[in-house]
Parts: sequence; C-alpha cells; structure tokens
Amino acid sequence: MKIKKLLITTMLSTLLVSGANAQTTGPNGEMATPSSTVTVPEAEIAKLKAGNYTAALLWHEQSDFVNAINAGAKDEFERLGIKVVATASAGFDAAKQRSDIETALIKNPSIILALPLDPVTSAAAFKEAVEMGVKLVFLSNVPKDYQHKSDYAAIVTDDLFSMGKQAADVLAQAIGNKGKVGFIYHDADYYVTNQRDNAFKTTIAKDYKEIEIVSQQGISDPARAEDIANAMLLKNPDLNGIYVTWAGPAEGVLAALRANGNKHTKIVTLDLSEPVALDMVRGANVVGIVADEAYELGRVMAATGARSLVGLENPAFITVPAVTVTADNVAEGWQRSLHRDAPKSVLNK
Amino acid sequence: MDQLTQLATRINFKQYVVYIGFLLIFLFFAIVLKDDGFLSTRNLTNIILQTAPITIMAIGLVFVLSAGEIDLSFGSIVAVSALVAAVVMNEHSMILGILAGLGSGLAIGLFNGLLVAYLRLPSFLVTLATMGLFAGVARMLTDLRSVPVLNSTFTGIFGSGSLFGIPSLIYWTVGAVALGHFVFRETKYGAHVLALGDNARAASVSGIKILRMRLSVLMLSGFCAALAGLLYAGRLQGARYTLGEADLMTVIAAVIVGGTLLTGGKGTIIGALAGSLLMGMLNNGLILMGLSVSDQMVVRGFIILIAVALSLRDTNH
Amino acid sequence: MHETGIGKTPVLELQNIKMQFGGITAVENFSLDIKAGEVVALVGDNGAGKSTLIKIISGVYQPTAGVLKVSGEQCTFSDASVARELGVEVVYQDLALVDQQPVYMNLFLGRELTTGPFNRLDRKEMLSQTQQLVDELDVRIPSASATIRDLSGGQRQGIAIARATHWAKKLILLDEPTAALGVAETAKVEKTIQSLRERNLAVLIISHSLDQVFRLSDRICVLRQGKQIGIRETQKTDKNEIVSMITGLG
Repeated sequence: MKIKKLLITTMLSTLLVSGANAQTTGPNGEMATPSSTVTVPEAEIAKLKAGNYTAALLWHEQSDFVNAINAGAKDEFERLGIKVVATASAGFDAAKQRSDIETALIKNPSIILALPLDPVTSAAAFKEAVEMGVKLVFLSNVPKDYQHKSDYAAIVTDDLFSMGKQAADVLAQAIGNKGKVGFIYHDADYYVTNQRDNAFKTTIAKDYKEIEIVSQQGISDPARAEDIANAMLLKNPDLNGIYVTWAGPAEGVLAALRANGNKHTKIVTLDLSEPVALDMVRGANVVGIVADEAYELGRVMAATGARSLVGLENPAFITVPAVTVTADNVAEGWQRSLHRDAPKSVLNK
Repeated sequence: MDQLTQLATRINFKQYVVYIGFLLIFLFFAIVLKDDGFLSTRNLTNIILQTAPITIMAIGLVFVLSAGEIDLSFGSIVAVSALVAAVVMNEHSMILGILAGLGSGLAIGLFNGLLVAYLRLPSFLVTLATMGLFAGVARMLTDLRSVPVLNSTFTGIFGSGSLFGIPSLIYWTVGAVALGHFVFRETKYGAHVLALGDNARAASVSGIKILRMRLSVLMLSGFCAALAGLLYAGRLQGARYTLGEADLMTVIAAVIVGGTLLTGGKGTIIGALAGSLLMGMLNNGLILMGLSVSDQMVVRGFIILIAVALSLRDTNH
Repeated sequence: MHETGIGKTPVLELQNIKMQFGGITAVENFSLDIKAGEVVALVGDNGAGKSTLIKIISGVYQPTAGVLKVSGEQCTFSDASVARELGVEVVYQDLALVDQQPVYMNLFLGRELTTGPFNRLDRKEMLSQTQQLVDELDVRIPSASATIRDLSGGQRQGIAIARATHWAKKLILLDEPTAALGVAETAKVEKTIQSLRERNLAVLIISHSLDQVFRLSDRICVLRQGKQIGIRETQKTDKNEIVSMITGLG
C-alpha cells in the first residue's frame, strides 16, 4: 500500500515539475503556465481591498464542477475584499449567456469570470464588457479574435492532457503495464473531452508498448454506456482494463461488469462521482479516478482578475493540475478537487 | 345580479393576473434594486431586447394553443433556421439567407402540420418527435460548428442596430405583437382558431376548414420560431445549434402565465407579451439581486407557479 | 325561383332515399316532403335511422340512392356547407356552440361579419344583430355579449336555435332539442320552435318525447329499423297509433 502511494506521489510531482511544458496548449496554441505560480502578492491585497472592486461570475452551466470553481473564486475574492455582485448560469444557451452579460454589466463589475460557450457567438456577447474595460478571465475557451491583455486577462483551464495521461498511468500500473484494454471515448466535437481522451490514447501508445487498445467505442449518449460495454466485453472477454471518458458513462460500464460477474477488468475514468468512487474503495473494478482541481480553477481565475486590476501582468494561458484519486487518497482527493469532504459512503467503505 | 358582478370580477381578476403580477414584481425590483440600476433605461431596454425572440415565439404558440394543439418543436426550428440563414447568407446574399431561414421554419411547420392535420396524429407526439428530429438536423447542418454572421446590414436589422435611437429589436417586438394581436383578435382567422380550439366539432359543422386551420397554426408557429432564430443570429452575430433549445419552457410559461389556456379556445397576445417580459424581468432582477444560480431557479419557479395557479384557478367551474 | 308558401312547392323533398354502410342498410326507401311553415316530427327507437337521415339532409352523408330536392330543384349535398348555402340549418344535439366565446360570435360562427379595408371583425354589427334576434325570439340571456359557458342549458339551446333561425332560408333540423332541459326550459324552447312557423320556415324535429311531438308538429313520420313505417297528420292520430308504429307491436 505504502509503495503504491509513494509511486503515485512521485508520479504526480513529476507531472507538476513538467507542468510548465505540459502538452495541454491553449485554444490558440499558447504555452501553459501552472496555476500554482499565479497568486496575488501580499502587498497588493490592501490596495485591492481599498478599491471597492466587484466581480460577476457568469457560468455556462450548473454542476458539481462549476460549484467547486464558483466556491474557489468566491473564497479568493472574499480574501481580496472583492464583492461578488452577480452570479448566473447560461445552461449552455449562447443567447442566455449574452443576456447574462448585459444584465451583469448593469452592476458595473470590475471583473467577469466566465466560460464563453462558443468562440463565434461569444465574440459579440462579451464585446460590450471589453469596451467598458471589465477585466475578463475566461475558463477553457476564448471568443474569436480576442487578444490577450487588450481584451482579456487570461484563459484558465484544466490540464486536460495530464488528466488523460494520468488515467493511462494509473490503469497501466493496475494491470502490470501490459495487456489488452478497451477505450470508450466521447464521440462529439467537444474540446475538453477530446483532449482528455486523446491524451489517454497517446500515452498508452507512447509510454506503454505492451499495452494494446484492442477495442474502441465512441459514446454520445451516456445512457447507452451499459450496452456499449456489454458489446465490448462480449467480443473481448479477457480485457484487462477499460478507459471510460467520464464518470457518467462509467457508471453504466460498471453495471455491465457487475451483471456479467466480471471482477478482473479494471476501470479508470475521469471526474469524481460517488457511485464510481464507492466501487473503487470497495476494491472492485475501479482502480482510479482522475479529477481536475476545480476549486483551484476558481481560485486562480479570481487571482488573475485581481492581478489585472492592480496592473500586474498575467500569463495568457494558465492550467490547473489534475489529481489521481485512488482508494488510498479518496479523502484528500475530494478535498483537492472539489474542496469538500468526500461522501460519507465513500469514506466509511 | 350580485352573482353576476361577482363572476365578472373573478373573470376580470384572472384575466389581469399577469398584468398585476407584472406590476407587483416590477415594483418589488424597483424598490429592492433601486441602487443597482434596475430602473435605468439601459437595463429596462435590455429586458425588452433579451425577450424579443421569446415574445415572437410566444405569439406563434398562442395561436397553436388556442387552436387546441401544441408545438414543442419550435426551439429546434429556431436553431435550424438561424443556421440555414447564416450559411446561405455567407455563401449567397442577405436576402436569400433571410428567405431561406424563414422558409425552413415554414417548411418544418408544414411538415408538423401535415402530420397533425392529415394523418390525424396528436400534435404533442408529432412535435415531440420533430423537436428531437430537427435538433439533430441542426447539429448535422454544420457538424456542430457555430456559423458567424458578418453581414452588418443583417445584424443591424435583426440584432444590434437602431433607428431614431430605438433598438431594432424593439421595433420587431412591437410590430410582431401588434400584427399578432390584430390577426388574433380582429380577423376571422383568429376567431376560427379560437373556435377550433374550443370545440372542433362546432367549428367543423359551422363550415370552418379545421384541417387547414390546424396546418396553418403549426406553420405560423414555425414561421415565428424562424423569425426568432433570425433575431438570435443577428443579436449574437452568429448561429449555433443550441439556439432556442432552452426556450421551450420559458415560452410555454410566458404564454400560460399570460392567460392562454393549454386546453385551447382562449388566448391573448398582449398577455403573452406581458408573460414574456415578466420572464425576462425575473431573470434580470434575480441576477441583479446577486442570488446564487440555484436560488434564482427556485424563486423563479415559485413565482411562475403562483402566477399560473392564479391565472388558471377555477377555469373549469 | 319557386314560391315557398304553404301548400306550394315543398322546400325539401326526399324521394326513395337509401343509405347503405357496407352491407348494412341504415335507411331504405325513405320519402318525405316538408313545406314552408310546417313542423314535421321524425320519431323512432334508437337505431331506427333518424340520425342517418339528419346527416343526409345536412350534407354530412351522401345517400346511396334516391333524390333530394330543395324548393323543387334536385341537388347533391356534397358537404355540410352546400346544405347550408341552400338554406338548410341544423341544431345539433350537442348544440355545436363554442363555450368560451360570446353569444354573438357563436351566432356568426364561421360566417363572421367583417368591415373596412383590413376585413376586421365587425363586432358592433354582429352584436346588434344578435341582440335584435334574441329579443325577437324571446331568448332570455343577460346580453348578446355574454359568454356561452355562463348560460343555462335552456339559454344555450335558445342560442343554437336562434343561430339556425338567423341563417336558415328554408329548413331547420332540430335534433332532440330539449333532451337535456328541465320542464320550464323545455316550455321556453318549445315556444321558440312554435315561433319558427311564423317565420315561414320548415322544421324537421327529432324527439323522443311523444308529448312534445304532439304539442309541436303538424305531421309525424315514423321510422323503424331503417324502414319508413308511415306518416300521420298529428291532428288525425293519437299516441297509441304512433307507439304501435314505433314498436311494431299491437
């Protein structure tokens, strides 16, 4: 057990060290700067507190992930004496996002944190905010033709490549660095999942010569995960492991494994979920969950906005590290990712 | 006589619930948010601009519901027609783009209408299916990519322009409501829609061509949705497959709160406008109050529930 | 044009009407003349063919065989609107009223009056014509702008008859006009029906109530199992005869 933990820690620290040249690149090919290096200097805090600054948090949707980002941002803003004056969720609707921006601008916020829903339509949507001189910090995406510094403060995102890579690492380790694996990927044109899925595949091909991806299956509807896993296992009953693009479909894959009485196929997936974590702490099929540090995402977004207010330069593209959660570090993994306690069921396995 | 006056007041009250609710909520926000810019011209204008597509979809839905049918597919029509308009406009001309966008809305409405009127399928099921079908078509059209709309004449007319200092979306809203109200209230067509939704048999034996009417209201709804799609494309300077997808519930709520019956035979365009502005005002005010997203949803849900309860209570006495 | 006075050309003539649905004969060899100002009652048990006949006369069904004449001219009622144009109006058992609309809109349902360059509904004119008509027919309602749903059963029946009266140039068909009404309301509606005679309209009434038939009609036509059993002048027959014709007993 101890060795395993040590291994993971080493693995993580290696990643953090190499974080600066990690292969996650910005939407315009920008090099990544790790979030840990972006903070508000103590000396500036008093200035910020005196400035009566305000912020608006205009998210794209509502989820566990967004809640954690929101919490990270709010805590950091509070520490810096910046008041959050508006919060909104666009529910993936570009038109609603535009309305949310217009509404928030009525309160003249100094900073807006947002995930632009898509580069094309958000270009017009954020235009007024740019013209008003609001400091914009974007999550994961950037409006078309927007320029760093003149139009926005920074883009912040998960280290998506690391997420996929760490998933490959933890699965490889669990199956002894060799064998056959299945690959269930997100079959949609979606930057976040595409990057993560590709990173898994690339890592297996590059770093684990003795592991072969023998079956690949795209998924667009998470509800169909169980059927897809059943078909995959029928053709390849001796699969050593399966990568599942995120936790929702992984729940379906687990259902298929249980129905088949399969205890030997190991599962790795991305994003924290209680049912998947429960399977993991019980020592069943799941060997690891790779999550992003969502709370840290929020913190660094807030810090970046605040830095711009006091005239500090920001890197164009900031990434937040991924965390590999296994049965051994479930409690701290939950804290690092979502900044709250893991569910009771998971802690009291 | 006493009973009659009582009846009259009750009916009147129910008819005016949306306006009373609108005023109360307006006053509430005006007082609570007086230092937060709620009453500023810019904010009030924003509310009207933001609700323009909702209002126009609501007009179409008033006709459909009043005729005793329903259209669940208009959200998907919004996306399809916005994308079609954007693509055609970028490749050919603005006029062709507008015609293609509106034409695709009419065509989908015709498709819905033929299935409902001539195959006698329930509109709920037909449009439930076409909602999904055309959401898929919208995704296929450009393979999930957003299409920019760069024609500044178009974005001026349909989105961000203004004339005599008044934003174009306000002209669209006022024009559509005035025309919708006139057709609904003042023409034979409107009277026949209401008769059909109230008692289809009575309408039929009175010589009203009920199949043609069913077809026409669904086409009208498709047309309104397409126009809403153009307004979105103008406002966002681009079209995207998700446009309109989230509007179904907002539009239905606006129309019902406004005093149109889900069961047909009774509707109001002015009420739908008030309902639509009410929805926009709620979105706006709750964000300005600084509530969390979940709190906003709960409060909005409660207010809609109260409004619907008040406007529908006792209709089946 | 033909004269339509009593004793002249009948407004409606049915000659050897036959109606078959698949292999089933619903009505066979039915013949009847109705003159202006005359009330004829059509009686018979359930399934005798009364509704089928009503639908033939109102243009909903086209007879399999036989001749239908309006004011002496042979015609084909290809649908309900043709029958209406030729001056035949029906008061359906369910009244065919639009509940949430005012009385005047129901009176003009499908035939609304319009005015001006934009063809606006002429509500004022429809309202005043309706008010005049319900006053003439003595249908007592709060106002011609009252909503149908707020009216009693008798008032609704009155409106349905008023509507038919307004539009009928020749003949009104009444299908069970008082089946759902109380005693007082029935009396009121019967009075309205009597007044149609004074307007020189022909009336064909279907009723289960023989008392009513005897109170209202000039002649009684009996149907049994699709067959026309006979026509009697009301003055010269009695209930026993009609009952035995209906039932085929005695």
